[in-house]
Amino acid sequence: MLTTVFLPGPHLKTSVTGSQWTRAEDKPEFPDISTLPRDLLQSFWPSLLDVAFSAPQRGSKSVVIDIEDLMEYLARKVRIEDPNLIREYLSQFTGLLDVIPEAVNAAKKQFPEAQLVIDVYQDPEIADCYLVLYIRLKHYDDSVIERLEKAEAEFLSHLVSKRGWIQLTTDFREPEGDDAL
Amino acid sequence: MAKKYANPPIVEALCEFRLTPETRWDLTVPGLLYEKLKESFPQKDQRMIQQMELTQGPEGLHQQIRMSELIMFRTEDKKILMQVGPRLLTINVLKPYPHWDGFKPRIEMAWESLQAAIEVQGLERIGLRYINHIELPAQGGKLAEYFEFYPSIGQRLPQQMVAFLTAVEFSYADGRDHCRVELTRIPALGGRSLFRLDIDYFLARPGAVKPAEVLAWVEEAHSRVEEVFEGCITDKLREMFEEVL
Repeated sequence: MLTTVFLPGPHLKTSVTGSQWTRAEDKPEFPDISTLPRDLLQSFWPSLLDVAFSAPQRGSKSVVIDIEDLMEYLARKVRIEDPNLIREYLSQFTGLLDVIPEAVNAAKKQFPEAQLVIDVYQDPEIADCYLVLYIRLKHYDDSVIERLEKAEAEFLSHLVSKRGWIQLTTDFREPEGDDAL
Repeated sequence: MAKKYANPPIVEALCEFRLTPETRWDLTVPGLLYEKLKESFPQKDQRMIQQMELTQGPEGLHQQIRMSELIMFRTEDKKILMQVGPRLLTINVLKPYPHWDGFKPRIEMAWESLQAAIEVQGLERIGLRYINHIELPAQGGKLAEYFEFYPSIGQRLPQQMVAFLTAVEFSYADGRDHCRVELTRIPALGGRSLFRLDIDYFLARPGAVKPAEVLAWVEEAHSRVEEVFEGCITDKLREMFEEVL
């Protein structure tokens, strides 16, 4: 069986191929869940998502799904220190979902050579936490602060009247991990 | 609820009302709603969302992306929120799921507040959606041990899957309602096997439910969602979720 994706407008349908959509009554063999590599899943899934569910009839407005979509986006562009902590923060401060890609894009524009790292900063003295987007460079020069300010100016106004915060800064560390430049 | 679980896999449940274009809506509506809901939902927030519209015209398919603003009201613990957009009201409850006894009164409160704020002319769509994250033991096993809803792979096909998405849409109430069910594996840390079972029961025929019938529809939708959920899982998962008797 091939499932159709419903697009708006009367009787307008399009077919989606490339994935399994059905269950038969007499299955000869069942898929083994241990044979599904996660990295391939990650690369495959977003494209399928775009094809299948970009229509307005995609379903009710889920916070969890929106967070997962953002995490997929971030995973391609940013080193994520603690994904579950980020998820938890975003579930409380959902208003930031639209600002974070702007912050990442602004940072990428000003620091194309940098590794970006996102984390949740927990103030040790007061009950306050916020997202931090670090830029990490192999070499730091005098232009860093000015470029940080330029990048921040691109999204700062969109944080007004939002709960939660994302801070763009640097910890003056070198890039690290598999995705280090 | 037919069955209650001590360890339910629900990460989010939501109920959404999309109103027909005949319903008058303006920028004051979120404020009117907030006035009625602020004791239970004191925290305000907002975000922009993108909506893609595809329309079939004489020259072919046209794609249009529209930006609109969602106003959000949250409970003090941030676990329940209402999202208000143009002719749109969504009530989301996050983990831990407060069970239907706790969710239903919030839906009723939201709907009654909306009706008190504006005159609802009709409903384009109502949706009751449950998103479950189900973690299976790391050592793996067959999907059939846990699910009664999963992809069927014929013997002549490769057995090594790199990803899957199983989705079907069932019809209810003579086609008035549909229930879309999806199962997929989602990325998880530390070699865990994590699956998302997404059950979205919705009004597929715009206007087929009158405003006065909305809460009865929601109750019926909940019963159907429960049936579908139980139909998707095996006793092995029920044991993991720990049924409360």
